[in-house]
Amino acid sequence: MNRLLRAALFPIGLLAVLVLTLCVFRLPILDSLKLLFSGAFGDKFAWSRTAVKSTPLLLTGLGMVVAWRGGMYNIGGEGQFIVGGVFGASVAKFTVFVPHPLHGWVSTILILVACVVGGAAWAWLAGWLYVRRGVEVVISTILLNFVALQFLGYCASGPLQEMKKQVPLTDSLPDSVMLPKLSRQMDVHLGVAIAILVAGLTYVYLFRTRPGYRLRLVGESTRMARANRIDVGKARIQAMVVSGALCGLAGGVEYLGMASQLGSGFSQQWGFLGIPVALLGGLHPLLCIGSAGVFGALFAGSEDLARFTTAGSTLVYVIQAVAVLGYVGIKAYTDKLPVEGAL
Amino acid sequence: MTTLRVENVSKRFGTLVALDDVSVNFQSGEIHAVLGENGAGKSTLMNALSGFVKPDRGKILLNGEPIPLGLAFACKRIGIEMIHQHFTLVPAFTVQENLALARLGRLASTADAKKLSKPAIDASEALGWPLVPQVRTGQLPVGIQQRVEILKAISGHADVLIFDEPTAVLSPDEVNDLFRVLRRLKEEGKCVILIAHKLSEVLGIADRVTVLRRGMVVASALRADVDAPTLANWMVGEMPPRTVRGTAYQMEGGLQAERLTILGDRREIAVREASFEVRRGEILGFGGVDGNGQVELAECLAQVRPALSGSQKWSGKEASNKLPRIGYVPQDRQVDGLALRMTLQDNMLVSGMDRHELWIGPFVKLKAVARWANSLIKRYSIKAASANDLAGSLSGGNQQKVVVSRTLDNAPSLLVVVNPGRGLDIKATEYVYDMILAARDNGAAVALFSTDLDELYKLSDRVLFMVGGELVEDSGAASMVGGDR
Repeated sequence: MNRLLRAALFPIGLLAVLVLTLCVFRLPILDSLKLLFSGAFGDKFAWSRTAVKSTPLLLTGLGMVVAWRGGMYNIGGEGQFIVGGVFGASVAKFTVFVPHPLHGWVSTILILVACVVGGAAWAWLAGWLYVRRGVEVVISTILLNFVALQFLGYCASGPLQEMKKQVPLTDSLPDSVMLPKLSRQMDVHLGVAIAILVAGLTYVYLFRTRPGYRLRLVGESTRMARANRIDVGKARIQAMVVSGALCGLAGGVEYLGMASQLGSGFSQQWGFLGIPVALLGGLHPLLCIGSAGVFGALFAGSEDLARFTTAGSTLVYVIQAVAVLGYVGIKAYTDKLPVEGAL
Repeated sequence: MTTLRVENVSKRFGTLVALDDVSVNFQSGEIHAVLGENGAGKSTLMNALSGFVKPDRGKILLNGEPIPLGLAFACKRIGIEMIHQHFTLVPAFTVQENLALARLGRLASTADAKKLSKPAIDASEALGWPLVPQVRTGQLPVGIQQRVEILKAISGHADVLIFDEPTAVLSPDEVNDLFRVLRRLKEEGKCVILIAHKLSEVLGIADRVTVLRRGMVVASALRADVDAPTLANWMVGEMPPRTVRGTAYQMEGGLQAERLTILGDRREIAVREASFEVRRGEILGFGGVDGNGQVELAECLAQVRPALSGSQKWSGKEASNKLPRIGYVPQDRQVDGLALRMTLQDNMLVSGMDRHELWIGPFVKLKAVARWANSLIKRYSIKAASANDLAGSLSGGNQQKVVVSRTLDNAPSLLVVVNPGRGLDIKATEYVYDMILAARDNGAAVALFSTDLDELYKLSDRVLFMVGGELVEDSGAASMVGGDR
């Protein structure tokens, strides 16, 4: 009952935040809302835009859910997203951009796997540093984001640069390697389905398997886990690796679904935006589908707002920030049990 | 001549009576030891004397004048200084700065610090405690930090010096040196009050001894008039009747621990060369005052904490090679026993990791887990609406039942239990005791760690005591408080 009430309050609260933000920006409220809505859900193209924007949000959000459930405050989704992309582009260099390229979908799968491995490796580093050396994950992951960004810049203008060596971008993947699309005019690609499927798998992993159970136990109480002979360090590293793999997958889906080439603007902060998605999704994989959808819709809708304001997607960031602060504030107020070791 | 009179002081914390109509006299030229078990009220009394705690009733008179109750700075100004058990130094400050800080003066520059700390530095030289004033205190070993703490107190014009368990962190040599200084302070005409729970130390230095138990003064006497057994009996009170059950159920095999040495959380040696045997079908009790290595030993037996050296053999085989099924009921159920924000079902599942009926490969069978959890709730009469209740929503007794039930339902061959009855009401306590006894009768080897003598003697078939990380034989009240050492 209480849960239902909360679920009902959520969209109302979000709408209130939205209206308030529009007020602050001195935008016509009704017209803006109409534009936002039509931009996100007005026609099939709008729906497609929303779905495509939600996809990396959902995947990085899931990454955050796994890490945070395991008590690891991974802020490095951005870096893991990027390194995933770089790993993918590196594999593409050997499977696609060679005299005898591999068959299209074989390359696609190899690239996607490489992205997952890259993200996982980047997160593993932070997890290992924490478990073995006591380096705070919040700090190491944030710093590794910058390293990843520099690494991407180096690769895009160095070893992975396009063949003509004119712009700091990697070669553009041919359509045969890209994830298949629903139709030529629309952006919707297979990645959307992959993301939703992975949300389901993440749920199963966290709530229906032995490793997921261990991970949640360690996240809720390391002392209790330890007293029951659960290897806390192992569970923590696992949380980071799975989290990084999901963020890397997000990078791969973005690379293979939308971007087709990497440059310094590869990630539009998708890694960071995963955090509010995870929080508003109550750190629950399935609810994250909803929260990612909401934010994806806001991003898609706000593109049309340019008619009124130059603020554009800034508006979305503001809405997101207010929503998260509100959520965290309310949660801190309603949570009666002490929060141990939260951020 | 300084006198400090405590008259009919009482203090309650909620429902806990910490001090109950306490009257004592302290005077200069004496080392007056206040003895008592953990929770006897020693620290509360000292905090009342030094203004850190305001008594609910009663008076404290310094040379006939009432002291400002509950005002620590004011008490400091009239010459009552306390040397805290947990240091009150600023680790990032230098020795000099810390000493200056204690003088409550202006502290804006190094020159200020130097001037204000001068008396303390002089005193340190007079005592034969050379100090480098410019070293950060955080870098100093604890023994030296304590000297700084003491110098902070004696550099002013204190007449009354209260030492709160000063020997707890010191090595034997450091203890001797500290006692030298205490005697000297006594000769200088200070009124020295010493809180302690180690009998041997008290007997070695005190001129007068006051014993507290459950917030009341049991007795006050000159050192010359008492001996160790008397003091021990005063501290512990009437020993509970020993209803030791004998060895009727004892079975073949069990756990043999040989020369176990175990490190504590601060990498100090918490347990030293402990050797014992727990046979199947018996309960071996480990008694002693908190913090003498019991938790570390319990964790080691439960395979939660590795041993530094020594061996554990199960029925003759190395325990680490072939573990018996171990059940562990940790001391702090809310921290080590349960994840309070998880459901009962999730909390119980931690003991069901190896139960085949609950898993298919790596996947959990949620329905089977719910069935098992509900059956535990029913069989152990845990008061909860369903297995989906959060563990944190249960009362302490029911929380303990959750931990005990999930542990015992695995029929462990080795059961390690720490203070199982702590914080439980009589009914819940009896219930938990019955479960432990039943486990023993079913052939488990039980290691029971308890600081509660009643509990210890009620359940154990044999009893050992832990003092300073070492095992000693049961020899009545004295072994409880470490009187032999």
